[in-house]
Amino acid sequence: MKCGIEIHQRLATEKKLFCSCSAQPSEEKPAGEVVRKQIAVAGELGEVDLAALHEYSRDRTYHYQLFPGATCLVELDEEPPHEMNKEALETAIEVCLLLNSKVVDEVQVMRKTVIDGSNTSGFQRTAIIGIGGFIETSKGKVCIQTVCLEEESAGIVAESNGHITYRLDRLGIPLIEIATAAEIKDGKHAREVAERIGMLLRMTGKVQRGIGTIRQDINISIPDGARVEVKGAQELGLIEKIIEKEVERQRKLLEIKEELKRRFGEMKLEKPHFIDLTELFKNTDCRFVRKAVDEGGVVLAMKLEKFGGLLGEELYENRRFGTELSDYAVAKAGVGGIIHSDEKLERYGIREEDEKKLRGKLKAGKEDSFVIVVGKKEICEKALEAVYERALNAFEGPQKEVRKVLPDGGTAYMRPMPGSARLYPETDVPPIKIERKLIEKIKGELPETPEEREKKLMKILNPELARKIIVSENYHLFEKIVNELKVEPKLVAMTLEETIVSLRREGAPVENLNENKLMELFIEYKCGRFVKAAIPEILRYISKNSTESVSYAVGKLKLEKMSEEELKGIIEKKKKEGKKGKELVEEIMREYRLRVDAGEVSRYI
Amino acid sequence: MYSKKIQDRLKSLGVEVGDTVKVKRGEEVYEGILMPKTELGDPNTIVIKLQNGYSIGLSFEGLEIEKLGGHRKIGFKSSEEKMKHEAGKPILSIISTGGTVASRVDYTTGGVYASYTAADLVATVPELKQFNIDSKLLFSIMSEDMTPQHWREMAKEVYKQLKGEASGVVVTHGTDTMHFSTAALSFMLKNLNKPVVFTGAQRSSDRGSSDSFMNLLCAAHFAARSDVAEVSLVMHGSSNDDFCYAHRGTKVRKLHTSKRDAFKSVNDEPIAKVFPNGRIEVINKNYRRRSDSEVSLDDKLEEKVALIKVYPGINPEIFDFYLERKFKGIVIEGTGLGHVPTTIEKYSLIPKIKEATKNGIPVCITSQCIFGRVHEFVYANLRKEYEAGAVFCGDMLPEVAYVKLMYVLAHTKELEEVKKMMLTNLAGELNEKTPVFE
Repeated sequence: MKCGIEIHQRLATEKKLFCSCSAQPSEEKPAGEVVRKQIAVAGELGEVDLAALHEYSRDRTYHYQLFPGATCLVELDEEPPHEMNKEALETAIEVCLLLNSKVVDEVQVMRKTVIDGSNTSGFQRTAIIGIGGFIETSKGKVCIQTVCLEEESAGIVAESNGHITYRLDRLGIPLIEIATAAEIKDGKHAREVAERIGMLLRMTGKVQRGIGTIRQDINISIPDGARVEVKGAQELGLIEKIIEKEVERQRKLLEIKEELKRRFGEMKLEKPHFIDLTELFKNTDCRFVRKAVDEGGVVLAMKLEKFGGLLGEELYENRRFGTELSDYAVAKAGVGGIIHSDEKLERYGIREEDEKKLRGKLKAGKEDSFVIVVGKKEICEKALEAVYERALNAFEGPQKEVRKVLPDGGTAYMRPMPGSARLYPETDVPPIKIERKLIEKIKGELPETPEEREKKLMKILNPELARKIIVSENYHLFEKIVNELKVEPKLVAMTLEETIVSLRREGAPVENLNENKLMELFIEYKCGRFVKAAIPEILRYISKNSTESVSYAVGKLKLEKMSEEELKGIIEKKKKEGKKGKELVEEIMREYRLRVDAGEVSRYI
Repeated sequence: MYSKKIQDRLKSLGVEVGDTVKVKRGEEVYEGILMPKTELGDPNTIVIKLQNGYSIGLSFEGLEIEKLGGHRKIGFKSSEEKMKHEAGKPILSIISTGGTVASRVDYTTGGVYASYTAADLVATVPELKQFNIDSKLLFSIMSEDMTPQHWREMAKEVYKQLKGEASGVVVTHGTDTMHFSTAALSFMLKNLNKPVVFTGAQRSSDRGSSDSFMNLLCAAHFAARSDVAEVSLVMHGSSNDDFCYAHRGTKVRKLHTSKRDAFKSVNDEPIAKVFPNGRIEVINKNYRRRSDSEVSLDDKLEEKVALIKVYPGINPEIFDFYLERKFKGIVIEGTGLGHVPTTIEKYSLIPKIKEATKNGIPVCITSQCIFGRVHEFVYANLRKEYEAGAVFCGDMLPEVAYVKLMYVLAHTKELEEVKKMMLTNLAGELNEKTPVFE
């Protein structure tokens, strides 16, 4: 098996890559939309890109949602791009250095043709910043091929009947793409590589965190198989499964190829006639067939000669070869799916005697299989064309293609593999010369390695907390609080990694606890306004009343640290009641836990 | 362009742009196609297009270059396919003049340049197959380089096509000065019998999102099927790819640098909405109908006409230049209702208007407000301008007045006659009534 991965990571810059819009996805409602079409065009070398043509053939309409603050005429493709964001470029250079990549001397911004509509312009702006490099893993070095800086695509919101809605706040957020060589040994190794790169990226402190901000694409092939690109794995946990299933799928497709060779010999699969079976289905019990026919649709079928039984072959658990055929019909014709002879046909209201009639009409014997589609005539024809194309491809074994991840780690056909014709220069952005001085400056400010950081943290925290904070998005805040305010590391780490997490679990809006609020909290703490134990209470209150200051909250919650006099008074009172020693401390702590530290109580007793 | 040093070195190695090369520096090795250099990059950095399609720039210093087998012709391959006519389809004549609508990335200069024919556009817009297309590449220039001479050549070619079998003529044109050209042809083509439709693009057709596809398709529908025998301009009606407006050629102006719907009808309603599926919704019924009339060409222009924009502090001596150089007419883009500096003697343009008029040189007044009409009586200063001999051009656009004055002066130099013609509606350039809704 050969396997390489591509990591896509959004950067936490203030502005987008080629305009001054905010690079943070908007939380507002869309303020409007524009509606566009796209068309396949020739690339730089005069060829039309195959993947681009494929999308065009689907004739879709794109709706783009606008967000004030996060969209301007640049995202709308109504204004040329502005200069490339320097902050993003410098972060990309930093990542190159962390990956031991060679930074190019002059960055050439390219247009990568994409007409699935996810870019309003019809292309994504992308540039190689670094070439080569490597990371160390438990199974040896894995080489890096390229480090690119590119625009994030628009986020898909909805898709139905050829209309796709995208949100433009996401379009143009700086994205780093890191591609490894096909040197990954197995699924587990792939996961390790992804984790390692993810960790290096987080070490910069300049990457976005949260769902969707980092994605993995996986390239997989087996001997005699074909290179398949699996797009958009967001969960690291799925990587192993994806690879395992893809290897199985390709192996099984090779078997089917052999079987077809045996069945066909020198013969070719002739293009079958499409037969209209609408009449046969006029009294069907199957609801969706009836609905389609009532709406003026047809039931169209074709025979697949000598394919008997093959459509039911399982490629891996819960995925049959028939589904591969169906995927093509879905992707190329936009039908919901196909019905084929190797399924339980009763599900569609086709009884045994119906099947006999059906086979009769199609002149299909036991050794043949058949495929049925339902819908508008032109769409059905397109769908059967696609199924025939996929059946023909089966004679060659696995296909070079792009597939999307399914929730179970399986994959489904998305589109053909794009060629290099899809890249041509972005002439609206001049080439950017990278001065050696800049690289030296960034080199001087590189973050420590994950190992160095771990070693440092192990000295001040217990291993569990150290591991938590090292990969945490709060790491930089942790460092700032510990270094600038000299608060004990353990308290800071616990607050950031445990207290806030449990508050989130109980439903508190912890997203309101931003860096400023947390700094304020520890400044007040450092000034002795309250004790450690009060922190969860204060944070819970502040998260729900984010416009109030920490100082005000402490007063309002009556959580001020107990004064010396008050404590002494309480101790005296309790002593008079006959309490003493450990019992006295415990009782005071039970009553005044949020206002005094146990250590202090002991000191006064 | 690469620096002389790089060029010489490549020459000595027998390496040309487009060759597949291997480039080495120490342990770094890159293989790919040697690309041309854009005018903006560092001339001492060579650009290699790698196998994965990406280009990278490498400092030339210390590079070893080796030529491998293979050469790619860089650039767009223009289609040479001849299109045969099929019975039953309308004949459409497409004249290509250049501009973004017919442009691609040019690798020698790095910019977007006009470089392919109408036949290529047909290949990119399959829907155009419903017409029998006669395409002609007239010129390949960006519209900022257009001159009155080009207008004449365009008018001649359109005239030729109108005399032929075509149901209508489409002219593809750069957008910047397209409204000058539509105005010029509006005056030059008399007794129009068929639609003459200009169209262009704000986004180059090398990208999937280009507006050129829909604009060209809508222009084709409007030229082949509409009843509007006028020179019109068909471009996007909004930021959406849903419909185009057909604007009257003398009542339209580019009003945005980059948006798709940059063109707006000014002081007039667009003639129609045109949809990519061929539907045409007439908005403004005031247009010339298709007919069997005998179209004629009257392409004489007096080119010594100037268009001067008024601004605070404008030096009246500017006029001396034009008067000394024997310009035959001046159009002023005044402020507001058509004002020029009047009261402060040092800055007043009134004496210059008087002087010009006295010498038989018409001075025509339009407004830089673009929208609305000028007026000669509302303020005392306007009356002074009028008394000095200025011709107030109603709701005519400054650019249109400029083109019209060229046309008029080619037919008469008699001041009173010029005034009369300037104030007579010749091609829809003057509206007596300003629409309430625009």
